[in-house]
Amino acid sequence: MLIDLQPSNRILEEALRERFNGEAEKLQLKVADFDGVKYRLSTPESKTVLNISMAMRCFGELQRYGADAVLRREYGDMLESTPESGFDVTVRVDLQNLPQDKESLVRKLSLLKRNALAAPFEIAFNAQLEGRDSELMTIHYRDEEAYYIKAQHDRVTVIFSTIFKEETDRIFGKVFLQEFVDARRSPATQNAPQVLYSPREPPMELRGVPGVQESDWVGYVTFVLFPRHFTGPAAEGCISRIELFRDYLHYHIKASKAYMHSRMRTRVDSFLKVLNRAKPEQPDSQKEKKTASGKTFKRS
Amino acid sequence: MSNTLRPYLSAVRSTVTAAMCLENFSSQVVERHNKPEVEARVSSEVLLTPVVISRNENEKVLIEGSINSLRISIKVKQADEIERILCHKFTRFLMLRAESFFILRRKPVEGYDISFLVTNHHTETMYKHKLVDFIIQFMEEVDKEISEMKLSLNARARIVAESYLQQFS
Repeated sequence: MLIDLQPSNRILEEALRERFNGEAEKLQLKVADFDGVKYRLSTPESKTVLNISMAMRCFGELQRYGADAVLRREYGDMLESTPESGFDVTVRVDLQNLPQDKESLVRKLSLLKRNALAAPFEIAFNAQLEGRDSELMTIHYRDEEAYYIKAQHDRVTVIFSTIFKEETDRIFGKVFLQEFVDARRSPATQNAPQVLYSPREPPMELRGVPGVQESDWVGYVTFVLFPRHFTGPAAEGCISRIELFRDYLHYHIKASKAYMHSRMRTRVDSFLKVLNRAKPEQPDSQKEKKTASGKTFKRS
Repeated sequence: MSNTLRPYLSAVRSTVTAAMCLENFSSQVVERHNKPEVEARVSSEVLLTPVVISRNENEKVLIEGSINSLRISIKVKQADEIERILCHKFTRFLMLRAESFFILRRKPVEGYDISFLVTNHHTETMYKHKLVDFIIQFMEEVDKEISEMKLSLNARARIVAESYLQQFS
């Protein structure tokens, strides 16, 4: 569906599916994802060994919060201990040695970015379920934007900072975020986490944290997650969705701008039609006429 | 049409119709020049007293007449931040296409959102009453368009937010 973004990378998914089901060939493919994440698929040594590498801006921070362990758990032996140069993670797949269930391997590999980002969430969720507080974890997933995760004894708070690059984005963003805050009133979303939005000023939890800025162009969105959102099977979906929040928001801001633009185009056309009515039609004798062969002429 | 819109538009219509009595007039100051006097503003005797018609403090029309040209400036209603940005985008979009609109000015007069400049050349090649119709229709539709865009933005935001949050439950 167009309205929702998928946590997996579509191009990666399709390329892998084709590779796993087709013949072994040389491959060199570069793919981009949200938040400046880059993938490279290559077959450096032989046609049957496929390397999938990912470069990520905030991987250093994620490693501090146990990303390696999460990736090791997900990809097992396929994870290379030293990534290819210029990349942060490398997964190696032997195409001659694929498991029976190729489809689930494809899914798993296309979730590479999601799994790397999941590490701090898992720490926070586990800490909360054990009733501990965690430190405030900061992940600078884009140049000027970050998210902050903190577990408290009864909840987990996730705070996004997001930058609106221009005035229109800022105002559209405000409208959208206000709806996120208000949407909980409808019965269908009663169970959703509480969303708080503060333009300009960072919320109380972030006071005094280094690197937190205050300007007209920044917005802070807080998700308050209670145990019912992340106990048992709910956790996986919850992480995927929260990770995509920023992309989802900006995607829809851009989409509504595009829609406005197409609307204005049709409106301009209709105005032009009205204005053209003001032009008197040329009398018949002045009009260009066509002969059967397509030549035009004016009757003198 | 609401109670105040009708008299507002009819006042604008009659004032513009009256002001659209234009004739060819060469500059009195520079020989062999023929400029729209309302823009050149070099001889005060050919300028008419400008008229402001306002519906309220946010919506008004300034009509400046002269012997060979007429300038109509419109201030569009902007109740809040969203309407302000939508209005700005929309008028900018129109003014970028001023070439095909003949009578549209590339820049609005200060204090207004959009301006039209009608010269005697326009009234000679086009029907005057249709030009007036265009201006009136423009005023009606700009308001409508902006409020529709605002509604659609809000509706979209609600759907987007609900569809995101519904996935949690």
